[in-house]
Amino acid sequence: MKRNPRSDFKAFKLMAVSVMLCLLPGLARAAELRAPAVVEAGQAFSVPLQGSGSATFYLVGPDHVVKRTVKLGSDLQIQSSDVRAAGRYQAILCDSVCTSAVFEVKAAQPGHLSFFLHPSRVPVHTPNSIDATAFVFDQYFNLDLAPEAVDFQIKPASGASFSRRVSTRRGVAWMRTDSTPHEGRVQVTAVSGSVEEARVVQQVAAEACALRVKAVANGNMVTIETDPVRDCSGNSLPDGTVVSFTTIDREGKSTVDTPIKKGIARTELSIHGRAQISVACGVVEGNEVAINGKL
Amino acid sequence: MNRLAHLLNKISLRFFKTASVVLAACGMAIGQSSPQVHLDADGLAPRPIEELTGTTIVRYYAQAWGDMAGALDSNSAGGLGEEFIGLAKDRLTRRIAEQKQTGVHVRIVDHGHRLKAVFYSTDGAAMQLVDQAQLEIQTFDGNKLLDTQNAPHAYMVLMTPGADRWYVRDLEEVPAKTD
Repeated sequence: MKRNPRSDFKAFKLMAVSVMLCLLPGLARAAELRAPAVVEAGQAFSVPLQGSGSATFYLVGPDHVVKRTVKLGSDLQIQSSDVRAAGRYQAILCDSVCTSAVFEVKAAQPGHLSFFLHPSRVPVHTPNSIDATAFVFDQYFNLDLAPEAVDFQIKPASGASFSRRVSTRRGVAWMRTDSTPHEGRVQVTAVSGSVEEARVVQQVAAEACALRVKAVANGNMVTIETDPVRDCSGNSLPDGTVVSFTTIDREGKSTVDTPIKKGIARTELSIHGRAQISVACGVVEGNEVAINGKL
Repeated sequence: MNRLAHLLNKISLRFFKTASVVLAACGMAIGQSSPQVHLDADGLAPRPIEELTGTTIVRYYAQAWGDMAGALDSNSAGGLGEEFIGLAKDRLTRRIAEQKQTGVHVRIVDHGHRLKAVFYSTDGAAMQLVDQAQLEIQTFDGNKLLDTQNAPHAYMVLMTPGADRWYVRDLEEVPAKTD
């Protein structure tokens, strides 16, 4: 049988191409990199590296970048200090070509609370007037996105303590509560696991209640004085709160603003003839008195 | 005639390639200026958002991303501007310093952000947002491209107000499935 040199050459070419196609991917294949999908912040771990020889390893994280030469065929150690910040990390391994893997670092157990209490002063007995917000972070200050229970413990200066349990949503727990009936310090403590943070809100008297004034005439002068100014729960309004006395006599209308001192407001006015005196504190009006005979 | 057609084909292909490079460069330049940010604050609790606050948040968040992309590419923390504060600033500054040390730099081609405001504290002191971003992230060692990631990214963002602006106080990447 006579062999055809042209067809032999074609067969050789085909074989050579097939061999190259088989070999090339193997030659260009990068060392494999298998990182865990999720890692807890601050937890060291290792990644097995297949192959032989050496390669360059890169770790690019939210606050940390590593570049080092590694030996293939051994375990790559990722230190706890390499993965402290929560977020997405990119691991890249390069020998002749590069291969990469992405993994997530999630927050560790609660380690810090960022706690806001609002407002700093609040009138007593007011519904939904105190707001407490707690952000839960781990020891590396990563926001803990897993649901965590936060207890808000409320301790008024007088009266019974109580608490409210709230679960975090995306790392935040918040609640709103009424102020209690008595003035004074109220301590609110946010507790999550072994972490706690306390803040204080000052409860102050609410608006004046049953505001009463009495007047004593002395010639053209009259001394006007309120009864002790209290709110409807019996709390004294703080000194410095302004009480307004308004007089209407034949000369016209005049108003005097007087701060409360030691629980009462007092002033002296000159009057001309018959006078009508009224009192107000904030939005609350008190009684009226008439001078010149009838009080 | 055939030769002429072949030559014309070659020229048009070259032109197309050049145009692509120019367009890509423009894209990169756009990526480092402020990206598009869309804010959705529907149903925000416990405090509703004021319109002006929404506008300000969008402006400064976009500026923050523009500055961050520039700083991560140039490895210059000075380019971070004033949009980052606290933990977010500390982390970025540290990363940029280490990128510089290792010769790594990261180029972000930013295709826009959908911000959803999820929490606004009653006293207006903090707002939490979730950002769904379309980003192409290219990692280089010097001029060598190590890796390209082109995928949706999600970020948990904490912003706090200053005298005349809103600051990014915390920016953590979370799995993209998070709402």
